[in-house]
Amino acid sequence: MSRVFRRVLLFESVSAVLVAEKVLKDRGIPYKLIPVPKHLSSDCGVCIRVNVEDLRSTEEILTGKVKVLSTHELSET
Amino acid sequence: MAYTIDARGLACPQPVILTKKALETNDDLIVLVDDTAARENVKRLATNMGFVVEEEHQGSETRIRINKVSACTHAQGAITGQGPVVVVIASDTMGRGEDVLGGVLMKSFLHTLTQAGAMPDTMILFNTGVKLAVKGSEVLDDLESLANAGVNILACGTCLNYFSLKENLAVGVVSNMYDISQTMLGAGRIVQI
Repeated sequence: MSRVFRRVLLFESVSAVLVAEKVLKDRGIPYKLIPVPKHLSSDCGVCIRVNVEDLRSTEEILTGKVKVLSTHELSET
Repeated sequence: MAYTIDARGLACPQPVILTKKALETNDDLIVLVDDTAARENVKRLATNMGFVVEEEHQGSETRIRINKVSACTHAQGAITGQGPVVVVIASDTMGRGEDVLGGVLMKSFLHTLTQAGAMPDTMILFNTGVKLAVKGSEVLDDLESLANAGVNILACGTCLNYFSLKENLAVGVVSNMYDISQTMLGAGRIVQI
Protein backbone atom coordinates (compact mmCIF):
# COMPACT_ATOMS: atom_id res chain seq x y z
CA MET A 1 0.00 0.00 0.00
CA SER A 2 1.22 3.47 -0.76
CA ARG A 3 1.66 5.92 2.05
CA VAL A 4 -0.48 9.03 2.06
CA PHE A 5 0.81 12.20 3.62
CA ARG A 6 -1.69 14.53 5.20
CA ARG A 7 -1.75 17.15 7.90
CA VAL A 8 -3.51 17.11 11.24
CA LEU A 9 -4.64 20.23 13.07
CA LEU A 10 -4.83 20.15 16.85
CA PHE A 11 -7.18 22.34 18.88
CA GLU A 12 -7.47 23.14 22.54
CA SER A 13 -10.81 21.42 23.11
CA VAL A 14 -13.36 19.08 21.58
CA SER A 15 -15.69 22.08 21.25
CA ALA A 16 -13.05 23.91 19.21
CA VAL A 17 -12.73 20.88 16.94
CA LEU A 18 -16.48 20.95 16.42
CA VAL A 19 -16.38 24.65 15.49
CA ALA A 20 -13.58 23.98 13.00
CA GLU A 21 -15.44 20.97 11.62
CA LYS A 22 -18.54 23.06 10.96
CA VAL A 23 -16.54 25.80 9.22
CA LEU A 24 -14.77 23.28 6.97
CA LYS A 25 -18.01 21.45 6.21
CA ASP A 26 -19.75 24.72 5.25
CA ARG A 27 -16.85 25.68 3.00
CA GLY A 28 -16.66 22.30 1.34
CA ILE A 29 -13.07 21.56 2.30
CA PRO A 30 -12.45 17.81 2.53
CA TYR A 31 -11.52 16.89 6.09
CA LYS A 32 -11.83 14.07 8.51
CA LEU A 33 -12.27 14.07 12.23
CA ILE A 34 -9.88 11.47 13.67
CA PRO A 35 -8.42 10.61 17.08
CA VAL A 36 -5.22 12.50 17.85
CA PRO A 37 -2.41 10.20 16.65
CA LYS A 38 -0.71 8.39 19.51
CA HIS A 39 2.71 9.84 18.80
CA LEU A 40 1.34 13.36 19.27
CA SER A 41 -0.59 12.89 22.47
CA SER A 42 -1.70 10.22 24.88
CA ASP A 43 -4.96 12.07 25.47
CA CYS A 44 -8.14 10.63 24.12
CA GLY A 45 -8.58 13.71 21.99
CA VAL A 46 -9.81 14.30 18.48
CA CYS A 47 -8.29 16.42 15.75
CA ILE A 48 -8.91 17.31 12.13
CA ARG A 49 -7.09 15.80 9.21
CA VAL A 50 -6.85 17.60 5.89
CA ASN A 51 -5.06 16.97 2.63
CA VAL A 52 -1.68 18.63 2.28
CA GLU A 53 -2.87 20.89 -0.53
CA ASP A 54 -5.77 22.17 1.59
CA LEU A 55 -3.68 23.06 4.64
CA ARG A 56 -3.11 26.69 3.75
CA SER A 57 -6.74 27.43 2.85
CA THR A 58 -7.88 25.58 5.95
CA GLU A 59 -5.70 27.71 8.18
CA GLU A 60 -6.87 30.89 6.48
CA ILE A 61 -10.53 29.99 6.79
CA LEU A 62 -10.20 29.10 10.46
CA THR A 63 -8.35 32.29 11.34
CA GLY A 64 -10.45 34.42 13.66
CA LYS A 65 -13.00 31.65 14.14
CA VAL A 66 -11.11 29.10 16.13
CA LYS A 67 -7.55 28.82 17.35
CA VAL A 68 -5.39 26.09 15.84
CA LEU A 69 -2.88 24.89 18.46
CA SER A 70 -0.52 23.18 16.04
CA THR A 71 -0.31 21.31 12.76
CA HIS A 72 1.57 18.10 12.16
CA GLU A 73 2.52 15.86 9.32
CA LEU A 74 0.72 12.56 9.27
CA SER A 75 1.66 9.54 7.25
CA GLU A 76 -0.91 6.83 6.83
CA THR A 77 -1.24 3.78 4.68
CA MET B 1 -34.67 -36.58 -3.25
CA ALA B 2 -34.45 -32.89 -2.45
CA TYR B 3 -37.25 -31.24 -0.57
CA THR B 4 -38.58 -28.18 -2.44
CA ILE B 5 -39.83 -24.91 -0.99
CA ASP B 6 -41.71 -22.58 -3.30
CA ALA B 7 -41.01 -19.16 -1.82
CA ARG B 8 -41.93 -17.23 -4.96
CA GLY B 9 -44.07 -14.21 -4.25
CA LEU B 10 -43.44 -14.37 -0.51
CA ALA B 11 -42.34 -11.24 1.33
CA CYS B 12 -39.17 -11.11 3.40
CA PRO B 13 -38.53 -12.69 5.89
CA GLN B 14 -40.94 -15.53 4.97
CA PRO B 15 -38.51 -17.27 2.57
CA VAL B 16 -35.80 -17.21 5.24
CA ILE B 17 -38.13 -18.55 7.92
CA LEU B 18 -39.32 -21.39 5.68
CA THR B 19 -35.76 -22.26 4.68
CA LYS B 20 -34.52 -22.26 8.24
CA LYS B 21 -37.36 -24.48 9.34
CA ALA B 22 -36.85 -26.92 6.48
CA LEU B 23 -33.11 -27.14 7.13
CA GLU B 24 -33.83 -28.46 10.61
CA THR B 25 -35.18 -31.68 9.11
CA ASN B 26 -33.69 -31.77 5.60
CA ASP B 27 -30.13 -32.11 4.38
CA ASP B 28 -30.97 -31.48 0.77
CA LEU B 29 -33.20 -28.58 -0.14
CA ILE B 30 -34.32 -26.59 -3.15
CA VAL B 31 -35.71 -23.09 -2.60
CA LEU B 32 -37.44 -21.23 -5.41
CA VAL B 33 -37.38 -17.43 -5.08
CA ASP B 34 -38.19 -14.53 -7.36
CA ASP B 35 -36.89 -11.65 -5.29
CA THR B 36 -33.30 -10.43 -4.97
CA ALA B 37 -33.46 -9.73 -1.24
CA ALA B 38 -35.04 -13.13 -0.57
CA ARG B 39 -32.39 -14.84 -2.70
CA GLU B 40 -29.49 -13.17 -0.94
CA ASN B 41 -30.95 -13.71 2.53
CA VAL B 42 -31.68 -17.38 1.93
CA LYS B 43 -28.18 -17.94 0.52
CA ARG B 44 -26.59 -16.15 3.43
CA LEU B 45 -28.61 -18.09 5.99
CA ALA B 46 -27.60 -21.41 4.44
CA THR B 47 -23.94 -20.41 4.09
CA ASN B 48 -23.79 -19.21 7.67
CA MET B 49 -25.33 -22.47 8.83
CA GLY B 50 -22.49 -24.32 7.13
CA PHE B 51 -24.38 -25.60 4.10
CA VAL B 52 -23.13 -25.66 0.53
CA VAL B 53 -25.18 -23.38 -1.70
CA GLU B 54 -25.61 -23.50 -5.46
CA GLU B 55 -27.91 -21.34 -7.54
CA GLU B 56 -29.46 -21.51 -10.94
CA HIS B 57 -31.20 -18.57 -12.59
CA GLN B 58 -34.27 -18.99 -14.75
CA GLY B 59 -35.49 -15.59 -15.88
CA SER B 60 -36.44 -13.59 -12.80
CA GLU B 61 -36.55 -16.75 -10.71
CA THR B 62 -33.72 -18.41 -8.87
CA ARG B 63 -33.47 -22.03 -7.84
CA ILE B 64 -31.26 -22.34 -4.79
CA ARG B 65 -29.90 -25.79 -3.98
CA ILE B 66 -28.78 -26.21 -0.39
CA ASN B 67 -26.77 -29.25 0.70
CA LYS B 68 -25.45 -30.34 4.00
CA VAL B 69 -21.80 -31.30 3.81
CA SER B 70 -20.31 -30.70 7.18
CA ALA B 71 -22.82 -29.81 9.82
CA CYS B 72 -20.29 -29.54 12.59
CA THR B 73 -18.47 -26.43 11.41
CA HIS B 74 -21.25 -24.16 12.61
CA ALA B 75 -21.65 -22.98 16.17
CA GLN B 76 -18.36 -24.47 17.24
CA GLY B 77 -17.10 -21.00 17.95
CA ALA B 78 -19.68 -20.39 20.62
CA ILE B 79 -18.52 -23.48 22.45
CA THR B 80 -14.79 -23.02 22.15
CA GLY B 81 -14.84 -19.23 22.51
CA GLN B 82 -12.69 -18.99 19.40
CA GLY B 83 -15.37 -18.01 16.94
CA PRO B 84 -15.58 -14.78 15.00
CA VAL B 85 -15.27 -11.40 16.66
CA VAL B 86 -18.45 -9.41 16.15
CA VAL B 87 -18.78 -5.68 16.70
CA VAL B 88 -22.35 -4.57 17.32
CA ILE B 89 -23.21 -0.94 16.64
CA ALA B 90 -26.67 -0.12 17.89
CA SER B 91 -26.62 3.62 17.36
CA ASP B 92 -24.99 6.29 15.22
CA THR B 93 -23.51 7.75 18.38
CA MET B 94 -21.11 6.17 20.86
CA GLY B 95 -22.39 6.14 24.40
CA ARG B 96 -25.47 7.83 25.77
CA GLY B 97 -26.03 11.28 27.13
CA GLU B 98 -24.73 13.75 24.61
CA ASP B 99 -25.35 13.05 20.94
CA VAL B 100 -22.91 15.61 19.53
CA LEU B 101 -20.12 14.13 21.61
CA GLY B 102 -21.37 10.62 20.77
CA GLY B 103 -21.06 11.43 17.07
CA VAL B 104 -17.47 12.56 17.53
CA LEU B 105 -16.65 9.41 19.48
CA MET B 106 -18.22 7.15 16.85
CA LYS B 107 -16.18 8.77 14.05
CA SER B 108 -13.10 8.40 16.16
CA PHE B 109 -13.84 4.78 17.05
CA LEU B 110 -14.49 3.64 13.48
CA HIS B 111 -11.40 5.40 12.17
CA THR B 112 -9.31 3.73 14.85
CA LEU B 113 -10.61 0.31 13.81
CA THR B 114 -9.19 0.85 10.33
CA GLN B 115 -5.80 1.73 11.78
CA ALA B 116 -5.62 -0.95 14.45
CA GLY B 117 -4.03 -4.32 13.87
CA ALA B 118 -7.01 -6.38 14.97
CA MET B 119 -10.19 -6.09 12.98
CA PRO B 120 -13.54 -7.70 13.69
CA ASP B 121 -14.83 -10.48 11.45
CA THR B 122 -18.30 -9.01 11.31
CA MET B 123 -19.93 -5.70 12.16
CA ILE B 124 -23.65 -5.53 12.77
CA LEU B 125 -25.40 -2.18 12.44
CA PHE B 126 -28.90 -1.70 13.72
CA ASN B 127 -31.31 0.99 14.88
CA THR B 128 -29.72 4.39 14.07
CA GLY B 129 -26.41 2.52 13.59
CA VAL B 130 -27.47 1.81 9.99
CA LYS B 131 -27.21 5.54 9.24
CA LEU B 132 -23.42 5.15 9.43
CA ALA B 133 -23.44 3.00 6.28
CA VAL B 134 -25.62 5.08 3.98
CA LYS B 135 -24.75 7.69 1.35
CA GLY B 136 -23.56 10.94 2.90
CA SER B 137 -22.31 9.29 6.11
CA GLU B 138 -19.08 10.82 7.34
CA VAL B 139 -17.66 7.44 8.24
CA LEU B 140 -18.37 5.79 4.91
CA ASP B 141 -14.69 5.76 3.95
CA ASP B 142 -13.78 4.01 7.19
CA LEU B 143 -16.51 1.40 6.77
CA GLU B 144 -15.40 0.89 3.15
CA SER B 145 -11.81 0.31 4.28
CA LEU B 146 -13.05 -2.25 6.78
CA ALA B 147 -15.21 -3.96 4.15
CA ASN B 148 -12.28 -4.01 1.72
CA ALA B 149 -10.15 -5.56 4.43
CA GLY B 150 -12.64 -8.41 4.65
CA VAL B 151 -14.93 -7.29 7.46
CA ASN B 152 -18.45 -8.51 6.85
CA ILE B 153 -20.83 -5.59 7.45
CA LEU B 154 -24.48 -6.41 8.10
CA ALA B 155 -27.04 -3.60 8.12
CA CYS B 156 -30.44 -4.33 9.64
CA GLY B 157 -33.03 -4.29 6.84
CA THR B 158 -35.93 -3.44 9.13
CA CYS B 159 -34.00 -0.40 10.35
CA LEU B 160 -33.08 0.78 6.83
CA ASN B 161 -36.71 0.37 5.88
CA TYR B 162 -37.90 2.32 8.94
CA PHE B 163 -35.64 5.27 8.07
CA SER B 164 -36.44 4.88 4.31
CA LEU B 165 -32.71 4.41 3.67
CA LYS B 166 -32.62 1.00 2.00
CA GLU B 167 -31.80 2.47 -1.41
CA ASN B 168 -29.03 4.56 0.12
CA LEU B 169 -27.01 1.77 1.69
CA ALA B 170 -23.48 2.38 0.42
CA VAL B 171 -21.47 -0.28 2.22
CA GLY B 172 -22.32 -3.71 3.61
CA VAL B 173 -25.31 -5.90 2.94
CA VAL B 174 -28.97 -5.61 3.90
CA SER B 175 -29.50 -8.19 6.57
CA ASN B 176 -32.33 -9.58 8.66
CA MET B 177 -32.90 -10.57 12.26
CA TYR B 178 -32.15 -14.23 11.51
CA ASP B 179 -28.67 -13.44 10.28
CA ILE B 180 -28.15 -10.91 13.02
CA SER B 181 -29.21 -13.18 15.86
CA GLN B 182 -27.37 -16.19 14.42
CA THR B 183 -24.19 -14.17 13.91
CA MET B 184 -24.37 -12.95 17.49
CA LEU B 185 -25.02 -16.42 18.89
CA GLY B 186 -22.23 -17.92 16.76
CA ALA B 187 -19.71 -15.28 17.79
CA GLY B 188 -16.67 -16.10 19.85
CA ARG B 189 -16.65 -12.58 21.19
CA ILE B 190 -19.10 -9.69 20.88
CA VAL B 191 -18.08 -6.08 21.28
CA GLN B 192 -21.13 -3.90 21.80
CA ILE B 193 -20.70 -0.21 21.13
